[in-house]
Amino acid sequence: MLTQILILSPLLFALAVLFAGVRLRNILTVVFVVFLAGVSLVHLLFINEPLRYDLPHELHTLFFFFDALLLLFFLYVGIAKKDPLVASLAASQIVLYAAVKFVNGAVGSSDLLIDNTSLMMYLIVNIVGGIIVIYSLKYIESEEFSRLKKNGFIAVLFFFLGVMNFLVGTNNIEIFFLLFELTTLCSYILIGYRKDTISTQNALRALWMNQIGGVAILAALLLALVSYKTLSFDLLIANIDTAYLFPIVFLLLAAFVKGAAIPFEKWLLGAMVAPTPVSAILHSATMVKIAPFLVLKLSPAMSGFLSEAVMLFGTFVFFAASLLALSKNYFKEILGLSTIALLSFMMALAAIGTQEAILAASILMVFHALSKALLFLQLGILEKEFHLKYVNDIESLMSYSPLVVFFIVFGFASLTLPPFGVFIGKFMAFESFAAGIQESPVFLAALLFSALGSVFLTILYFKVLTKVFVRDMSLGDSKRKEIACTYKITSWALSVLLGVGIVWSLAQRLFGMWEILIPALLIGVVPLLLYVFVLQNAQRVKEYNCGEKEEVVLNMYYLHTPSAVQKTILILSLVFLGSLFVGVAL
Amino acid sequence: MIEILLILLAPVAGGLLYGFERVVRARMQNRQGPPLLQPFYDMMKLIDKQTLIVNPTHALLGVMHFVALWAVVAFTIMGGNLLYIVFLHLLASLFLVLAAFSVKSIFSHLGANRELLSMIAYEPILVMFAVAFYMLNGSFSIDAVRANPSALGSLLFLFLAFLFVVQLKLKKSPFDAAKAHQEIVGGAEVEFSGLFFEFVYMALWLEYVFVYLLLMLFAGDNILLGGILFCVVFLLVNLVDNATARVRMEHLIKIFLGIAVSLAALNLLGLAYV
Repeated sequence: MLTQILILSPLLFALAVLFAGVRLRNILTVVFVVFLAGVSLVHLLFINEPLRYDLPHELHTLFFFFDALLLLFFLYVGIAKKDPLVASLAASQIVLYAAVKFVNGAVGSSDLLIDNTSLMMYLIVNIVGGIIVIYSLKYIESEEFSRLKKNGFIAVLFFFLGVMNFLVGTNNIEIFFLLFELTTLCSYILIGYRKDTISTQNALRALWMNQIGGVAILAALLLALVSYKTLSFDLLIANIDTAYLFPIVFLLLAAFVKGAAIPFEKWLLGAMVAPTPVSAILHSATMVKIAPFLVLKLSPAMSGFLSEAVMLFGTFVFFAASLLALSKNYFKEILGLSTIALLSFMMALAAIGTQEAILAASILMVFHALSKALLFLQLGILEKEFHLKYVNDIESLMSYSPLVVFFIVFGFASLTLPPFGVFIGKFMAFESFAAGIQESPVFLAALLFSALGSVFLTILYFKVLTKVFVRDMSLGDSKRKEIACTYKITSWALSVLLGVGIVWSLAQRLFGMWEILIPALLIGVVPLLLYVFVLQNAQRVKEYNCGEKEEVVLNMYYLHTPSAVQKTILILSLVFLGSLFVGVAL
Repeated sequence: MIEILLILLAPVAGGLLYGFERVVRARMQNRQGPPLLQPFYDMMKLIDKQTLIVNPTHALLGVMHFVALWAVVAFTIMGGNLLYIVFLHLLASLFLVLAAFSVKSIFSHLGANRELLSMIAYEPILVMFAVAFYMLNGSFSIDAVRANPSALGSLLFLFLAFLFVVQLKLKKSPFDAAKAHQEIVGGAEVEFSGLFFEFVYMALWLEYVFVYLLLMLFAGDNILLGGILFCVVFLLVNLVDNATARVRMEHLIKIFLGIAVSLAALNLLGLAYV
C-alpha cells in the first residue's frame, strides 16, 4: 500500500501544483514533500522482508501504450529538431520493442519487488529530492518565465520523483524500460528548460545518449526473453547461466550510460546549462543514481570475469574523471566530474558483490546524495545571490556570506574527510580491494586506480576550498549579505542529515568511537575554541611575501591534461567496454 | 598508561630527534653544528616573540595542522587502524595546505601547490604500505603488526619504496622541493611567525615521530631489529640528504609514481602469488 502511495502521489502532486497560485503552490509543495519523506521513512521502519506486488493486466496494456507514445515522441523530436542520432536511436528502439512484444510469452514473476535497496533509494529520492524541490520554489521565482512554466518546473520535478519511486521498486524489465525512458524524458525537458540554443543542443545530446541505454535495455530484454524465457529481474538473476551473460552486460551498459561513465560523460556535463536545481536533482537524488542501483540489483548475477571487469572499468573511470576534473575551473563542471567519478566507484563496488562491498556502495550512495545536493544548492545560491560561477571568482566570499562558506566547506569536507559517511564508504572500499588481491591481480589495479583517484578528488575539493578561505581583511563587514530563508532552511536540513549520518555510523559501529569523534572534534570544536579564546587580541600584519612588492593575482592551481591524455582516456574506456562484450562472448 | 605518557611526550621526542639530526648532519659536513637542545631554545625564543598574524584562519589552520598530526601520532602509538591513520595523516597535511592558501603570498601558494603535488606522489605508496600489512595479518590493526614477527624479508621492495616516502615527508634532499628554502623560502610555512610558527615547527617534529613509528612496523615484534632499522635509516636519510641535489617537482612525481609505486605494487603481487 505504502509503495503505491509513493508511486502515485507524486503524480497527483504534479497535477496539483501545476495550476495553483504562487502561495498555494509553495504551501502545497512543502506539505507534499513532508508527506513523501514521512511515507518513505515509515516504509523503511515497518518493512523487514521483501514485498512483492502484481499489477493488473490493464495497467500493462496502458504501459505498452505509454511506451509506444514515448518512443514515437522521441522519433518526432529527432525529426523535428533534425537530429539524426535521436531519430535513428528512437527508430531502432521502436523496432526492438516491437520484436520484444512479438516474442512475448515469458514466465512472469511479481511486477514490484521492494527489497532493502529499494527502501534505501526511497529515502534518497524522497528526502533529498524533496528538499531540492522546496529549494527550487525560491530559485525558480527569480527566473523570467511565465507562471505556468514555473509551475511546470515544479510539476516535472514531482513527476520525476514519482517515476524514480516506481523505478526502484520494479521487478519487470519491460516496466523498467518504460521508467528508464521516462527519466530520460524528464531530463530532456529539464535540461532544455531554458529553451535557448545551448540548452536545446545539450538536451538533445542527453536524449540520444540516454537512448543508447534504452536500446541496451531492449537488447537485454530480447535476449532474456529468448534464452531465459523471462522478463523479470529476479528470475533472470536466479537462473543466470555464467556461460551466457549477454542480458546482464547489456543492462550494465544501460547503467553506464545513466551513470554518465566515460565515454558517456558528455550528457551529464551538458546538463549544467539547466537551472541549478536540475543539476542538484540529477546528480544527487534521481537519474544518475539509477546506475549504481542497477548494478547493485544485478550484482548477484555477476561473478568471475564480469565482476572483475566492471570493477576495473569503474575504478578506471573514477581515476580518469578525477584527473580530468583537476583542469576545470567552472564550479558545476568540477562537481559534475566528481559525481561521475564517485558513481563509477559505487558501480565498481557493487560489482564486487561481497557483503562489505555492497554495504560500502550503499553508504556511498546515501551520503554522496546528501553532500552533492548540499553543494549544488550552494552553487545556485552563489549564482542567484552573488552572481558567481567560476571558482576563481569566489575569492573573498568569506566577506560576503560566511554562512555559504560554511556550507561549501561542510559539503566538501563531508565528501572526503572522516568522520563523514563518504569517507567511511571509501574506507570500506579499500578494505574490499585489499581483501581481493589474493584472488586476482585485477584488485591491485583497482586499488591503485582508487588510491590515485581519491587523492585527486581530495586535491580537487581543496582546490575550491582554498579559494573560499582567502579573506580580504580590508573589506570588513560592509559587504555582508543575508541569503534567502528558503535557501538557508534547505541547506541546514541537508547539513543536519549529514550530522545524523555521523551519529548513525557511531551507532552502527562501522568505526571505533575515537576514530569518529577525534576528527569530528578536529574539524568542528577545536577551531571554534581557539578562535574564541586566542585570537581576539593578536595583532594583524600584512603578508611578508619575502619582501616582494609586485602586485600578484593568485589563481587556483590547475593541472593541465593534454589532449593526448584525454584521447587515451577515451580510447581506454572504449576498450574496457568492448572487452566486456568480447570477454562475455568468449 | 605508558601509551598515554608516550603520546604526551611525542613532541618532545620529536624535538630531540630533530636536534640530534642537526648534530649528525653537521658532523657529516665537518661542522660543529648546534647543541642538541637547539630546537627547544628556538621554541623559547619563538614563544617570547610578539604574536603577529596575517589572518585568523591562517593562524588557526597552522595550529590545527599540529593538533591533527598529534592525533595521528596518538592513533599510531595506540595501535589503531593503519589505513585510517594514513587517511587521517592526509587530513593533517591538508590543514597546512589550506593555511598556506589562505594568505595572499606567492611563496606560500607555491609551497602549498608543491605540497599537494607531493601528496599525489606519496599517498598511493602509504596506501599500499597499509594494504601489505593487511595481506600479512588479515587486518589493518597496528597492534597485530606489533604482535607478529618481522616481515621485512617479504616486504623488501615495499621497504625500499617506503624509504622514498621517508625522504619526502622529512623534507630531505633530493625530495624537498615542497619546502625548498633557497627557491620559495620555506613554501607553505613562510607566512607564519612567532608562536604560530612554533606550532608549524613542532608539527615537523611530530612528522619525524610518525614516519619513524611507521618504519618500526617493518620490525614487527622484534625491538632489536626496530632499533637497528631506525639507526640505519636515520643515518641513510641524512647521508642522502647531504649527498644529493634537489629534484624538480615533476621529476619527483615521475620518480615516485614510476619507481616507488612499481616497487610497492610488485611487492603486493609477490605477497599474493609467490
